[in-house]
Parts: sequence; C-alpha cells; structure tokens
Amino acid sequence: MSKSIIELTDELPKGGLTVSMLKSLDFIAPGEWKNIVGFVDTIEEVTGETDEDFIQEIGERAIFLYNDKSQGYQRAMWLYNTVDSSDTALGAAALANKVGEKIPLLGFLSKITPKADKAQTIDLSLKLVAELIAFCQINGIPGDSIGDFVASLGEYSGESFIRMAALVSVDGLIPLGPDFISKAMSSLNNTSPQELEGNSTFSGIQDAIPGNNASSKLNFIGESFDSVKGWMSDLVTSKNLTPEKIAGNIQSFVDGADGKLDYLAAFLDVSTNYYEHTGTQTLARRLIERASAEI
Amino acid sequence: MFIKHPRRLFAALLLSLVLLTTGCATKAPGRFDQAQKESSSQRSGQAIAKDSTQGSEFNKFFPGNSDGYKRVYTQEKKGFSAANLKKDGKVLAVLSVNDTQGVKGTSNPAAKYQSASKQISGYPAIERGKQTSVLVSDRYQVKVQSKDDAFSPSDREAWIQKFNLNGLSKLN
Repeated sequence: MSKSIIELTDELPKGGLTVSMLKSLDFIAPGEWKNIVGFVDTIEEVTGETDEDFIQEIGERAIFLYNDKSQGYQRAMWLYNTVDSSDTALGAAALANKVGEKIPLLGFLSKITPKADKAQTIDLSLKLVAELIAFCQINGIPGDSIGDFVASLGEYSGESFIRMAALVSVDGLIPLGPDFISKAMSSLNNTSPQELEGNSTFSGIQDAIPGNNASSKLNFIGESFDSVKGWMSDLVTSKNLTPEKIAGNIQSFVDGADGKLDYLAAFLDVSTNYYEHTGTQTLARRLIERASAEI
Repeated sequence: MFIKHPRRLFAALLLSLVLLTTGCATKAPGRFDQAQKESSSQRSGQAIAKDSTQGSEFNKFFPGNSDGYKRVYTQEKKGFSAANLKKDGKVLAVLSVNDTQGVKGTSNPAAKYQSASKQISGYPAIERGKQTSVLVSDRYQVKVQSKDDAFSPSDREAWIQKFNLNGLSKLN
C-alpha cells in the first residue's frame, strides 16, 4: 500500500543532502522556505491554530481528502516522486561521510556521468510539465490550462518557490549554463518523439501528460516550456543568478566543484530528491488549507 | 555451580529478548490511526460526495479587488473554492466557500451552526481560533481565516459581509 499523508510528512528528513542543497539556495529569496517536517507541525504552521481538538479535526479531514483518489492528491504525489529520478544508493554513500564535513566531489567522479545536453533538457522540461500537472491535480484547475499555471507562478511562495528556484539553478543553470533557456528551447525543437520515448523519466510519467501519442505529448512539453520561460528568465535576471554564483553557494556542502559544473549537476541529480521533498510539503500545505476551510 | 538450570535461564533470556524486540517494534497507536483506517476502506469518493456543487459555482460570490486589496484564487475543487486576500503582496487571510452537503467521512460541518450564538448578515456564525464562518441556506459555508496577526476577528466579520451572501443563498 502506498504511504499515508501522515507517514509522508512525518518521514521528511530534517537534514541531509537535499535539505542542505535547498538551504544553500536560500540566498535567492532569504527566508522564503522553511523545512517544515511532520504532519501535526505542518497543520500548526499552515493554520496557526494551537487547540489540540481543532488540530485533530483538521488532520482527520486532510487524511480523508488525501485518501479519496478522486481528489487528485495521490496522483500529484506520484508525479513528484516519479519525476525525481534520484539514485538513493549514491545519496546514501554520500551521506556516509562524516556529518558536518563537506562532501568531496572528487570521490564521486568515477561513479557519475554528466548528462548530454539533450537528456538534461528533457529532464528539465519534464519537471516543469510535472509541476504543471501536479499543480492542477492539487489545486483543481483543468490539466491543460497553461495560462492559469503561469499566472499562479507569480503567486508561488514557500516550498513551491524554492522548488522552482532549484529547478532553474540545478537543472538549468549549472548543467546547461547561463543561456540554458535558449539552449533547452533549441534542443527541444530538435528532439524527436522517438528520442522522447527513449527517456526513462518520460516513460514513467507519460500517461499523465496530455496528448494521444509521443508526438503530441512532445508538443505539450514544448508549449509548457515556452510559457514558463519568461518567468524563468525573470528569476535569473532579477536575482542575478549565474552558474558560478549557485555553485559557490553549493560549496557550503560539496567541495571541489570548481570547473566541474557538469559533474556537480550530475552529482546533485543522483543524490538529492528536492522535487519529491518540497512537492510533499506543497501538497500537504494545500491539503491542510482545504481541510481547515472545509470543516 | 552458579547456574543450576542453564536451560531455564536461557529460555527466560530468550523470552525477555522476544518481548523486548516485539514490544519495541509495535508502534504506539497514533492519534490519526482511526481516520486513516476509516478513510482507506474505499479508493474513491469517501471524502467528497459526487453531487457536491462545483467549486467554480462559488467564485462569483467572492469579494472583488478593492482599495488595494487583491483577491487571488488558489484552489477550486468539487464542493470547494478558496482565494488569498492580499495587500501589498502579503497574504492577510484565506477566503473560502464550501458545500457542507458534499463533505463525507468526517463530521458534517453544518452541524456546529445549530448552537451558533451569533449572526452575521442574518446568517448563523461561528468564531473559532483564527476562523470566522457563516452558514448560508443551511448548506454553504463561507469562511475567512486570518493569516496575519493584524487581521482581527472584526476584520474577518467585515470580509464575510463582503461576500455576495444573498446571491449564494439562491444557489441550488
């Protein structure tokens, strides 16, 4: 059986590589993201309520809503999990390093392979598409409404904001460079439906992407990317983000990434699951907001 | 010999080890176990009734933008619609409408209004924690929740009055 919303939120880690990485991106929007862990703690944080009976009622309502498959929350959770193709074995190996010490990237060079630009572009695009679909599953705007999604990006805050900031940083700028948007656009234009079908993340989530076949799904992916590129480039410009600046902040917990940004990107890809982590937090927040309003 | 019955001692040790390990492995019952169990008995439809009013039906009864206040819709699901009330980029409150007849599984939200001691715009009203709400036509719950300490109970009451409650009362 899949995990309950209580287990999912209670089991979120308070530390580790994913949390370190997200904290290192705090400079993009200081204090925007707090790592809220635990079902009851999330209810208290979201609602501001302290009465135990009240918290109990809100929690029970949230559990019912989550377990009702027709409400879309479980599908959103599945999307956040599936699109985060993390290799936990390497993550665990990295964690085996002494707590508090920086992880030397050098020790992992033989174990990781940087992705080709095209594979990285598909990954980046699929994460954006998953965000769009999960957003609609959670908040209830029909799944093909790209316009609503883009408008709501401006409203993204907390864990949703840091997820998008991490996407731009570690799936865009670091692996693809400062011109990652134009690079990804041209790479997407040169991707065939067959190439898309060969991507393992795509095969995992393809049923959730609108379109009858790989070709129309590829169109949807392209349109999604096109519609959020303005938001991404605004973020890069307004915060003056560069690959070097982000890598510099990540050096707070990974050592030796100078001149090896492609390896740093590959290492972060296999050792963190920031989409799943912050996706769980976003989902729990929205679920609890609804439960609190409904009771 | 110090140990007269080594076999018996071994058995006792083994028994205590078994008790210790299984005892520790059993999780203490959680406060949400009952809800988790009840809501897992079916896959779909246990939280929201199929014939609930669509959330999109509620949107037109929300207060509009005015005096620097901005209403930003955040969720629209079956039987439920919600918006953030913002000013200067800050979320002050959450505004929502839900169909209490659509709520399944957990206790009916409409029941609490039977003991309501106050009214807002002629509708039974409840104030609890950071929430103020009214029940319209014995069915639709209109709620305002404070998200900022400066947003007081009287602010919540004032914003409930800004909903088109009369219009909502005519919705079937």
